[in-house]
Amino acid sequence: MIGRNGYKNRIELLQGTLDMLILQTLQWGPRHGYGIVQALHADSGEALQLETGSLYPALHRMERQGWVRSEWKQTESNQRAKYYRITAPGKKQLASDLSRWQQMVDVIGSIMRPVREGGEA
Amino acid sequence: MSFFSRLFVSHKAELDEEIQAHLQMDIQDRKDRGESSEHARAAAMREFGNVAMVKDVTREMWGWLWFERLGQDLRFALRQLRKSPIFTITVMATLALGLGATVAMFTVVDRVLLRPLPYADAQQLIEIKEAGKKGVAPDGTPYLDLQQWHERSRSLQAVAFYSANRQVSFLEGRSEAIQVSAPKISANLFQLLGVLPAIGRGFHAQPESGSVQPSDAQTIILSDAVWKTAYGSDPQIIGKPVKLNGESYVVAGVMPPGFTFPFGTGPSVVWTPAVLGATDAVRTMYDPPNYEVVARLKPGVTLDSAQSELKVIQAEVAKAYTDPYQREQVNSVQVQRYDDSLMGSDLRRSLLALFGASAILWLIACVNAASLMLARAIARQREIAVRGALGASRWRIVQQLVVEGIVLSALSSTIGLGLAMLILKLFERGLASQFHIHEKITPNPAVIAVLLGLTATSALLCSVWPAIVAARASIEPALRQGGQQSSAAPVQYRTRALLVVTQIAMSLTLLVGCGLLLRTLYALRHVPLGFRTDHVIVADMSIPAYKFAGRNMTTELYQPLVDQVNHLPGVQSASLITGVPLGTKYKMTFNLEVDGDGALRRDISAQMRAVGPEMQRVLGFRMLKGRFFNEADTATSQPVAVVNRAFVKAYYGGDQDPGKILGETFFGYSENRRAVIVGVLDDERQLSIAQQSQPEIQVCIPQITPDTGFYKGAEGLGMDLVVRTERSPSSIIAELRSAMRAASPELATSTFTTMDQIVEDSYGSQQLAARLLIVFGGSALLLCITGIYGLLAYLVTQRTRELGLRIALGAQRGHVMGIVLRQAGWMLLAGASVGLTLAYMTSLLLRTFLYGITPHDPWTMASVTLLLLVGGLAAAYLPARRAAMVDPMQALRTE
Repeated sequence: MIGRNGYKNRIELLQGTLDMLILQTLQWGPRHGYGIVQALHADSGEALQLETGSLYPALHRMERQGWVRSEWKQTESNQRAKYYRITAPGKKQLASDLSRWQQMVDVIGSIMRPVREGGEA
Repeated sequence: MSFFSRLFVSHKAELDEEIQAHLQMDIQDRKDRGESSEHARAAAMREFGNVAMVKDVTREMWGWLWFERLGQDLRFALRQLRKSPIFTITVMATLALGLGATVAMFTVVDRVLLRPLPYADAQQLIEIKEAGKKGVAPDGTPYLDLQQWHERSRSLQAVAFYSANRQVSFLEGRSEAIQVSAPKISANLFQLLGVLPAIGRGFHAQPESGSVQPSDAQTIILSDAVWKTAYGSDPQIIGKPVKLNGESYVVAGVMPPGFTFPFGTGPSVVWTPAVLGATDAVRTMYDPPNYEVVARLKPGVTLDSAQSELKVIQAEVAKAYTDPYQREQVNSVQVQRYDDSLMGSDLRRSLLALFGASAILWLIACVNAASLMLARAIARQREIAVRGALGASRWRIVQQLVVEGIVLSALSSTIGLGLAMLILKLFERGLASQFHIHEKITPNPAVIAVLLGLTATSALLCSVWPAIVAARASIEPALRQGGQQSSAAPVQYRTRALLVVTQIAMSLTLLVGCGLLLRTLYALRHVPLGFRTDHVIVADMSIPAYKFAGRNMTTELYQPLVDQVNHLPGVQSASLITGVPLGTKYKMTFNLEVDGDGALRRDISAQMRAVGPEMQRVLGFRMLKGRFFNEADTATSQPVAVVNRAFVKAYYGGDQDPGKILGETFFGYSENRRAVIVGVLDDERQLSIAQQSQPEIQVCIPQITPDTGFYKGAEGLGMDLVVRTERSPSSIIAELRSAMRAASPELATSTFTTMDQIVEDSYGSQQLAARLLIVFGGSALLLCITGIYGLLAYLVTQRTRELGLRIALGAQRGHVMGIVLRQAGWMLLAGASVGLTLAYMTSLLLRTFLYGITPHDPWTMASVTLLLLVGGLAAAYLPARRAAMVDPMQALRTE
């Protein structure tokens, strides 16, 4: 029971950001779940290891929300896998997530900067 | 359901494959990097985490999980119910009984009280009657009075009027004459009701009065049923000539299907025009044409304000009556909603009382079911505790138990619906005659909706509480004690005992009602009727009077018919009467204002019957004084009449010797034929068995000639042919029918019954109420007894160890039995005292049904209570004996 709640909490904490990260990854073409994990792992300089317990619920939720669409395809190594593709509403969502995230970074940045400057002084 | 579950299964499989693919790719990558296949697999699994958990959380994203859980719960519930069939059957039978009774009664309530009349804004329709010193004037309102209401009132939007012709009319259709009712209506009536003809037009109205224009005097409007049966739905019917009672009319319109007016008349109706004539220009109290009045209230006007306004107006109107006696009879009005006027408030109240009784039975059933569920929840405490320990949340457990309750309730409601149909079928005849329901009574969508509501409620009532009790119990002790002997038991036992006490109290209430009605029926069956009912066949004849226009029906129809029937083999005697006592025919009322002095009171109102001289031999009327009619009384001899004792009492000095009225001549057959009173009949029951005799005058049929005042009045009302015979009714009816056909072909369609049946039918409302209450009360008693038995059996099982210990330590077996019986005793006493208080309050509702007994009859209360106590103790005896038989060794070893 605690385990499950733990997952839930983590999803909630990451939700906005997680969706944005997944959608961002899908912008360069359809990928399967494992591919998304690998891509984020590589793109973050091996800093981010996405939890499957967050990834799959998020993918299925976004599919229900219409932001991604899925289809079964063969990988290069002949493995059948479910590929996710970003949709037009998904792209719109990504844009708005991005601008919100940008705003957030700016706001937090402007708050944090004076402190650091003051520390230097 | 199967579509959803298939969709669900395929989704699940897809998710499995998706996750497998993820793992495979991870393993492949690791192997490509040079890891051993074993190592790669372990690492991939570790990195992925808990596969089942991931699946679970993902599936939750579909928003369907509740559905999956519901499916699980349903399957589990069904499995649980199958596992304990006796419990399941008991609960289902209990709930079905309660639901069935309630749905059956609600079907009747819905049909009789709730369904709006099929007219536009029916709640705005009112009926206005003149009233005065003697109550509501029986003969309707003269046009001049209702015209005043229409002109002066500000609360009425429109006023329409009609005269309900009580005679049967004959409409000559394509092949043969059919019987119809033919009310005369004002032209604005249909518009006031908001229903217009489906084909053709209505009557043209006089703009001022709303009556029909004289140009329309010979037009007629057909009901849909008449149009279909008599004219084969002829689309060209408008403008065609038809004959009603021999008179020619032209069809102006056909009303839409299902329409009828006055409400409650059968489907075969034709409407004839009420054209005002010279007779409408004067106020006459007793002579037709007088009208029934239906009006529509203006929007926003209440019934009360309309009533008070009309009372003021009528007080003014009454001043136009020159005769002070007549003025007193009509100086006020009675205003009712039209739908209220269709059913007496007594009948309404009694129907609600019966519905209440069924609702009590339903409550008892729910309480019983709740008690059973509670016992089971406790018995399953260990199972529930285990599930709690494995991580099920309390909410989840409650949900599960509630689903069980709903499944039980749904199954029971299916059975209950069947039971309801059965009850309605069994009581069809009584319901039809009491509440004037002519079509088949079946539960309609509203009833089904109520059933579903009741089902849901009973499911909640009998599962939520036990579920909460079960889920609240702490897990640890339940697990540790590992058995039936749980610490929650005492609280739980008290709760169940309280439920049983409630059941006892409610059952007693029903049983008291049942007892009172049985006593009433007994009293009614011992009322002296004043006539004989055995071996008497009654034929209800509609007389086609129009065929005998200008002829003498007495000599050309009645007497030949009676002569012929009297000569049939097996007939002891036969005679005619305008409506047998206790029959349902319209009653003729005789009103007379006597001038002069004498002992006779001034205004006389009595029932009037025309009777053949042979009737004393058929119905065995008892003479108190003087003689009955005989064969010597003919059209040419001295006119005679007889009265009954109630008449003498009411109008001729109550205490005097009734014989003194003999020889009085206060009325005549016609102008120059005064009738002499030659006999006084002993009282007989005329209207219903529960009603005292009314004053009555009987006149002799052979003396009635076409110039007699009441010849006209009696001719269309119909006659009953009454036959005393030793033969069985079925063997003689065919011969009677052919004799009647010979007299006049229309009579062949008459309906036959027996005098015994007529008497039986007149018990009607009491019989129906008594039978229903026997069913309800009996079921309640049964439930109550099973409740007591169930609880005490449970108690004995719970306390087996303690009882065994007591016996081991030397307690007498009788003493142990006493412990259990004492438990039953206090529950019964507590229940009985509460129940008697309730019964004391509720039996007043039955007052209108009761006859010859008070609602608080102590003997009934005492005997019913005794019955319940004996039944309860009998139910307690079995568990008590089991308690006394407990083997101490066995009991102590159970630990």
